[in-house]
Amino acid sequence: METPWMLRVDGLGRRYGRGCARCLDTTGPGADTNSCAECGSIVACAALSFDLLPGETLGIVGESGSGKTTALRCLYMDEPATWGQAYLSSFDGGSRDYLQATLPERRELRSALMGLAYQQPAMGLNLQITAGGNIAERLLNVRVRRVSEIRDRAKYLLGRTEVPQDRMDDIPAHFSGGMQQRVQLAKVLANSPSVLLLDELTTGLDVSVQAGVLDLVRELQEQTGVAMVVVSHDLGVIRLLAGRTLVMKNGRVVESGLTDQVLEDPHHPYTQLLVASMT
Amino acid sequence: MTSIAELTGSNVSAGRGAYNFAFLDEATKREVRRAILKGVALPGHQIPFGSREMPVARGWGTGGIQVTLSILGPDDCVKVIDQGADEGVNAWNIRRLITDTSGVATTVDSGEATIIQTRHRIPEAPLAEGQVLVLQVPMPEPLRMVEPSERKTREMHGQADYGRAWVHLYEDIVSRGEISHTTGYPVMVAGRYLLSPTPIPRWDIPKLNMADCIFLFGAGREKRIYVIPPHTRVEPIDFEDYPFYVEKFPDQRCAKCGAVDVYMNELVLESGEHVYTCSDSGYCDNRTAEAK
Repeated sequence: METPWMLRVDGLGRRYGRGCARCLDTTGPGADTNSCAECGSIVACAALSFDLLPGETLGIVGESGSGKTTALRCLYMDEPATWGQAYLSSFDGGSRDYLQATLPERRELRSALMGLAYQQPAMGLNLQITAGGNIAERLLNVRVRRVSEIRDRAKYLLGRTEVPQDRMDDIPAHFSGGMQQRVQLAKVLANSPSVLLLDELTTGLDVSVQAGVLDLVRELQEQTGVAMVVVSHDLGVIRLLAGRTLVMKNGRVVESGLTDQVLEDPHHPYTQLLVASMT
Repeated sequence: MTSIAELTGSNVSAGRGAYNFAFLDEATKREVRRAILKGVALPGHQIPFGSREMPVARGWGTGGIQVTLSILGPDDCVKVIDQGADEGVNAWNIRRLITDTSGVATTVDSGEATIIQTRHRIPEAPLAEGQVLVLQVPMPEPLRMVEPSERKTREMHGQADYGRAWVHLYEDIVSRGEISHTTGYPVMVAGRYLLSPTPIPRWDIPKLNMADCIFLFGAGREKRIYVIPPHTRVEPIDFEDYPFYVEKFPDQRCAKCGAVDVYMNELVLESGEHVYTCSDSGYCDNRTAEAK
């Protein structure tokens, strides 16, 4: 049966530390802390649930330390989730929690079905191999074995992300931050993933480059229909990209809804503060 | 002057009698043979073993020596080659260690030998069923060039996660226009494990595929043993549009025996003239003798 969603997340959470039975009760926005009063463990995020629809963009906003990035890293299996399940419609028809998949399955899933663009390009790229080689890595992971095919695809993607094609055989260590970020975007798009996770994509880029990258993401989504989760503490980015938004504080979702609604009529005091501080 | 024998209170003179047959103690030989058997069961998989101190510096063939000594029996006939030649200093010393401690026969004829220990070459003449080729391995890990961590490379082997080995080839092609591995060209064994075939030239790589003999690899410094059993599929990794190829010696023939279509050494004579000779000296000697 085909699921209406691309990605379903159910009760996802991540705890650092030994943990105890009271961790969830003593942390969160109510307690205004992430660290458990009982055992001192850090609950980075907890009880995160959402459905991501085809072609949809879900925004996650929140201040530093609200658990946004940890949630993405758990969804991309960079680290294990302490609680919860996640399902991808493109993995076994969405019938199996992919966080529990076997290691080879996870590797396949990470290279072929999902992409995570990290806040720091150095985490998503090997800066010492060429831009083309970085893109090649994802294609080679799914057993493309023709150099000409790899180069054509890399050229196309770098063209799409507006990286000068004559820099394709240079190493990203010699690129500007904005260019590195665009190479990273080209890399995660290499196998046309069905779900794209973008972590603070424009933070640290200068404003003109930011606009270019955001335009690009929007355009790519219109063309490919990829579903995206966009994490940012910049409400401007969220307003531009996301149809629906979750607001996180102290590792929990405090408010969710259509982006316009959340931004125009914020209910939770923290969201009100966020919106007020934007202008 | 006091002799070492007097100092140690030993009456046994140096030489064969002072050691167990084939130098190593029997428990060590069993351990090595056990690793070899495991390697046969998992073709291409690196099996750890407790590499012993040998009377040869590590990195000078200690892995191969331990493998050879562990499988050696009194009726074996051993050939040792270094850079294709039986006369190299390293080959001489290893051969002397083997014969001094075991008394087995040696040969330079690869057809006669039951065990051939080598590092840089596989003999030109095809080896037969029952023959054993022992290769000395300096760097057993084919993924080391892309991943410095041993823990990670083991995981990568476990999951057959070899994409990055291909990225390395891709980068090579981009920067040099071709795959530049000259020796130790990485191969896939039985479609499962990526393996480093030691510093043999590309020329010898096809000989590993579906061979009648068995190949035992010993890395003494890195403490690994691995095996390519007979009749096993061995494929060099490459791209469809940049296929693997072997070295070519166009229009060259051996200056000694006239052979063509063999792996050759280039020599520069004092006159400045360049001549080519067979790299496999045993093969060359055989041909020369036959011609006479």
